[in-house]
Amino acid sequence: MSKEILECSVNGEQQSCLIDRRDTLLELLRTRLQLTGTKEGCGNGNCGSCTVIVDSQTVCSCLMFAVEAQDCEITTIEGVASVGELHRVQEALIKHGGTQCGFCTPGVVMSAVGLFAENPSPNESDIRLAIAGNICRCTGYEKIVKALMDVADPKGAD
Amino acid sequence: MFEEIIAHADPHGDHDTIGRRLPRIDSGKRVTGEAIYPADFQLPGMVYAKLKRSPHPHAKIRSIDTSKAMELAGVLAVTTADDFPELEPGTAVPMGQGSCDVWMVGQINMARHKVFWVGQPVAAVAAIDLHIAEQALELIKIEYEVLDAVFSIDEATAPAAPALYDSMRTTGLDTPSNKPTNVCSRTVFKRGNSDSALANSDETVELSIKVDTAHQGYIEPQSVVAQHDRDGLTTLWVSTQGHFTTELVTARVLGIPQSKIRVVPLEIGGGFGGKVFIHGESVAAKLAEKCGRPVQLIFSREEVLQGGSGPTAALQGKLEIGASKDGVINAIKSRIHVDAGGLPDMNPGIILQVFAALYQTPNLFLEGFDVVTNKPRTEAYRAPGGIQAAFLMEQAIDELSQKLEMDPLEFRRRNASVTGSTMPAGTPFPSIGVLEIADAVAAHPCWTTPLKEGSMPRGRGLAFGYWRGTSMTSACHVTISGDGRPMFTLGSVDISGAHTSMAQVAAEQFQMSLDDVYVATGDSKSVGYTDIAAASRVTRTMAAAVIDASQAALAELKKRAANLMQLTAEELTYDHGSFRTANDNGPSMTVADVMKATLTQGAIICQGSSSNLPFGVEVGAHVCDVEVDKDTGQITVLKYTAFQDVGFALNPPAVEGQIEGSVVQGLGWAISEGFDYGSDGRLRNASLLDYRIPTALDVPSIDTVLLQKPVPGVPYGLRGVGEVPIVPVAACVANAVARAVGNRVTQMPMTPERVFKAMTAS
Repeated sequence: MSKEILECSVNGEQQSCLIDRRDTLLELLRTRLQLTGTKEGCGNGNCGSCTVIVDSQTVCSCLMFAVEAQDCEITTIEGVASVGELHRVQEALIKHGGTQCGFCTPGVVMSAVGLFAENPSPNESDIRLAIAGNICRCTGYEKIVKALMDVADPKGAD
Repeated sequence: MFEEIIAHADPHGDHDTIGRRLPRIDSGKRVTGEAIYPADFQLPGMVYAKLKRSPHPHAKIRSIDTSKAMELAGVLAVTTADDFPELEPGTAVPMGQGSCDVWMVGQINMARHKVFWVGQPVAAVAAIDLHIAEQALELIKIEYEVLDAVFSIDEATAPAAPALYDSMRTTGLDTPSNKPTNVCSRTVFKRGNSDSALANSDETVELSIKVDTAHQGYIEPQSVVAQHDRDGLTTLWVSTQGHFTTELVTARVLGIPQSKIRVVPLEIGGGFGGKVFIHGESVAAKLAEKCGRPVQLIFSREEVLQGGSGPTAALQGKLEIGASKDGVINAIKSRIHVDAGGLPDMNPGIILQVFAALYQTPNLFLEGFDVVTNKPRTEAYRAPGGIQAAFLMEQAIDELSQKLEMDPLEFRRRNASVTGSTMPAGTPFPSIGVLEIADAVAAHPCWTTPLKEGSMPRGRGLAFGYWRGTSMTSACHVTISGDGRPMFTLGSVDISGAHTSMAQVAAEQFQMSLDDVYVATGDSKSVGYTDIAAASRVTRTMAAAVIDASQAALAELKKRAANLMQLTAEELTYDHGSFRTANDNGPSMTVADVMKATLTQGAIICQGSSSNLPFGVEVGAHVCDVEVDKDTGQITVLKYTAFQDVGFALNPPAVEGQIEGSVVQGLGWAISEGFDYGSDGRLRNASLLDYRIPTALDVPSIDTVLLQKPVPGVPYGLRGVGEVPIVPVAACVANAVARAVGNRVTQMPMTPERVFKAMTAS
């Protein structure tokens, strides 16, 4: 099948990529751009492990074709922390033990980053709703929710 | 044998690092996506594999024609069972106190002669990209002779049922039969006379239950990268619970010596028992050998669920229990059938122990059968069989307490096993804290605060759980770096924070900070044989190995220090990184200086190992409040509290995390997770949309209450932690539902439909 050129911005870097029209955005990120922090847990939008931010919207990158990302601004887990400094969502997940096997964690971080960009002081229901598309099999969500509550209200949590 | 280790592992007193609430030492790479799982691992020239899977639940393979697939541009290799040596049924390799059936695992990797379930692999291709590999699968022509199939225990045990294996005869029967059967084995535990004791009981309860197959549900699908180099060495980069077992099994399936295979464990994205066996590792290795390029094989979620790996056993059974009117159990009698799936030998013995562990009875008769059906071979899932068995046992206990009009906690207390009571197999119980947990529940607000009424029926449930766990063998070694810091290589993978907890133990032993110790898992060629990370065993047994190695290294360091200081070793004591004499003003020397002076005079390499450490049996009690929608049957869990005696919590947040995650897994199976097979043997809910794992919106906050009663004879008094907290969950919810609506739900998961039916049953 013929390949085509895709132009987009990924984590602030302009990219021109040769893609197969059958590639999903997830395949573009993981295989062609080697950004393997974004995980594939199900491939059909049910688990949220592949969550990225496209033009300020959190999306499952497995549900979007790469060709649909033409001229889009994409942020992946690799673009969340700066050198030497983690995002406060990441700091809080570490502090509260909100990551175990770590496979769902990048998706959880992206959903949370998306939530806080929209709503800086969410309550527990907002937080549970925001990560309801991210299946975590290890933690029971308890320490993820505690961590994100701490981000929402650093004085409220312990 | 462990006395010296125990002497250096006292849970009491002040500790610098153990017992403290510390973040995982490897969290940073997890929250940034830098942690590397096999799906993320890339090698130059790597190509991609896909498996061709059986569309039939039961069929003979007449022929396989791969020629058209090989002709497709971009396809580099195709493989089938013909490329693997044919193993004799019964071929096994050692694993823990038992063995791992290599013939069986071989069948999970590649079917030969016959397929036993939809989704069993029959061929595989490697191609330069995944799209081509998928196209090539369509070009493989397979001729099947389709056979009649059985999909449930009832179908498989019916008189005219088609037999999956002509040679199968039920083992363990009092009167052996020579007829082909789908019942693989019968296991019995008995003492006394349960029938006459039941007849003479003041109150009895008889309960029958059915539990659907469920899946481990790890979020990382199986994945592997395989390389076969020009010198004949095969290397596998894997996600596994045990890379030594992977090496042993893969070598046998491939028919190569173990000297020609190396297994490198990468991060594991959840296992829960489902990543003990290999699921394509041998196929990827064969393809890599055939095409001369590294090969990556990643399962899709549909493959994981539709016969690629797991699931865990369905179960049905009946239990009768009798007690005197003052609440003393006279007899327990149970008969269960376990659905093993398409390959035999899923011994129900481990499940039966749940019926006879927590409570003592003079009369016992437990009988378990494992049955083959045309469904995927089941695999372990967190306390395998425990939640299913407790769904039966703890509901029966609850109902009996209701009949006796006795507080369910008090009824359990009157019959509780205590240290020295008889274990299911007849041996005395090691330290077991059922009564202490009952005391903790009795004093806790989750139990003492009355349940508030709601607009819908509400109930409070209580259930206990037991899991024995095991010990097996663990190994590690430590070297001392040029600056005096200890560098540990462990034989265990890290599935639940082992690197952090072992770094804590190492730091405690060396009286250094966590940052001063290095801990990593070695590949299968760089550290000694260690059993799988399973059965709640790693923390206890690896702690013993780390202490063993640490003490040996400290002794060697002391010898060198004494030599340098022109003293005897007996004159020196070790204190936070320095050797000094008893005299406070006397000479001292840091380990850094010792190593600076002696590094080039020979390495310090000290090993530690532990085998057959005493059990750290696990006991927990759970309390939950539920509300049941009387119009739909939907269960909402309002509040959940889990009590557990963990012996000693090396890292409390890690322990809590195990319990919280375990409870939510249990809630999933209790309420929404169940495999739904069609009459064609295909799983109809092979996606994470239709197979409903709980989300953050489906579960309440989980409270954990840790009791810490150290187990004698085990380092720091550690108990197993990770398995028992799933055991009572479904029974706890069921008991709450029964108290809310007055009727018992006897099918699991307790879907709205089933709850509604139970509610409206007369």
